[in-house]
Amino acid sequence: MNIIEDNQNMVNRIIAAIGEENVLESNVPRERRAMVRVKTDKLRDTVTYIKENEGLTHLATISGVDLGEEREIVYHFNKKDIILNLKVRVPADKPIVPSITQIINGAVLYEREVNDLLGVFPEGHPNPKRLNLSEDWPQGVHPLLKKWDIKGLRKVVDGAEWT
Amino acid sequence: MSETEFKIPIGPQHPALKEPASFLFTVNGETVVDVEPRIGYNHRGIEKAMESRTYIQNLYIVERVCGICSNAHQTLYCTNVEELAGIKISDRAKYLRMFVHELERIHSHLLWLGVGAHEIGFDTLFYYIWRDREVVMDLLEMISGNRVNYAWNTIGGVRRDLSVDNFPKYHKMLDVLAERTLYYRKVAADEKTVIERTLGVGYLSKDDMIRLCGTGPHARASGVFKDTRYDHPYLAYDEVPFKVITYDGGDVLANILTRVDEVAESVKICKYVLDHLPEGPIKEKFSPLQRVPEGEATNMVEAQRGEDIHYIQSRGDNKPYRYKIRAPTLGNIPSLAEKLKGCYIADIPIIIAGIDPCFSCTDRMSFIEEDREKLWSMTGEELRRYGIKWYKDGNNK
Repeated sequence: MNIIEDNQNMVNRIIAAIGEENVLESNVPRERRAMVRVKTDKLRDTVTYIKENEGLTHLATISGVDLGEEREIVYHFNKKDIILNLKVRVPADKPIVPSITQIINGAVLYEREVNDLLGVFPEGHPNPKRLNLSEDWPQGVHPLLKKWDIKGLRKVVDGAEWT
Repeated sequence: MSETEFKIPIGPQHPALKEPASFLFTVNGETVVDVEPRIGYNHRGIEKAMESRTYIQNLYIVERVCGICSNAHQTLYCTNVEELAGIKISDRAKYLRMFVHELERIHSHLLWLGVGAHEIGFDTLFYYIWRDREVVMDLLEMISGNRVNYAWNTIGGVRRDLSVDNFPKYHKMLDVLAERTLYYRKVAADEKTVIERTLGVGYLSKDDMIRLCGTGPHARASGVFKDTRYDHPYLAYDEVPFKVITYDGGDVLANILTRVDEVAESVKICKYVLDHLPEGPIKEKFSPLQRVPEGEATNMVEAQRGEDIHYIQSRGDNKPYRYKIRAPTLGNIPSLAEKLKGCYIADIPIIIAGIDPCFSCTDRMSFIEEDREKLWSMTGEELRRYGIKWYKDGNNK
């Protein structure tokens, strides 16, 4: 069997295990790549399922994207012949995702990074302290959000105008 | 924390390489009980900067994410943009990219081996290795004009070609590297100084390494069979024969052996590329303000220090909407922290050096941190000297 069919079968198995009503989007754009978007409250179940049944134990990183009204969190899992992007979206006025550090221990720093730079708080993280930003960085300023440009950041962080 | 335990902040001036990162160690006597890493001293905001620059401008900013893995980051960036723009690069360009990618691995691993030898106080070996590293640096300079930051890739292919007339010279230089690597393999496996300082030091089991998502030579030294070149063949790695090196040791010695053997494999790949270089154009057209269709792409390459992953989202503009970079060192810090627990203070420098850390890759914005709970502190150099003296006095017996 070729690789792309394998990938498609894996996505189908994930959808069957999580329930079709909980999967909002999924595709296999090319061989060795797959994307699945689930409801936020099903994130932990999905991660547990793919870790234990599909052998996807390796989390490469977590990316966050500011989509305006919503923020998208992408969990990049991989094993031989597949990179799975598992996505969830959270509303911008309540940016909280369940932490997956208890399931995938390697996620410990990535969740803190997303919290620093995009303000998406990992609920249930054992040590949700700052990672990249300094202690004197103003609260609530998450530099990768689209509303911040260099002038705005300069003003809130240094209190100086950008020249 | 019990009464016999103390906290020692080490860094931000780094004990292993001359780069900033801070580790807060809790020690009981000579033994490390707990460790808390603190990074971010080198964070330069590259991801944010890339959102306001065009694809061609970003080509140069992404190369400066790291001085040592510059080509790995740039190859990955080009692969991502080419995937979105639907550009298929020629076979010749693939082979040429692979050639520099592997040369970069050789120079990085030799650099690391030298640093490792320095950390255990074996400076003779350090000078020998760095002398031989000049061979590969000269080779890189000869083909690209630069010792680091080669500006070799561009979107759609590579910027320079190799001339067949020079191939005998390249072969000769690669032969020197192969021969010297064989010698270092022997030194690493037989020399008493190396074995006494590295055997069983900084051990992490295969299960823990998988659990903490370690990558690269660091993970392969714990017996994890994981190499992006083999798992997700990019460029032309599915056509080139090579071995994935793994060792079961899980300690610093296994780290050294993995890297020495990988240098030997990389030399073989480079020679294969020279022998099988296909004919064809080296570059497809990509204009400076070209728009890239809407979509997303994720790609990985095996950089010298482990898997490197970039993620791009495009909204059909001539700038990326979001560009995410995760360099290998960040992925290796949780497993490094686990390795440091239970080790002696004297072994801290070589264990941290064991993952070949690169903090300018990992961090991308600047900040200042006040020292916390400062009881006493050590600079990296003091710590290195302390470690060498500690072993000289026979404290490990």
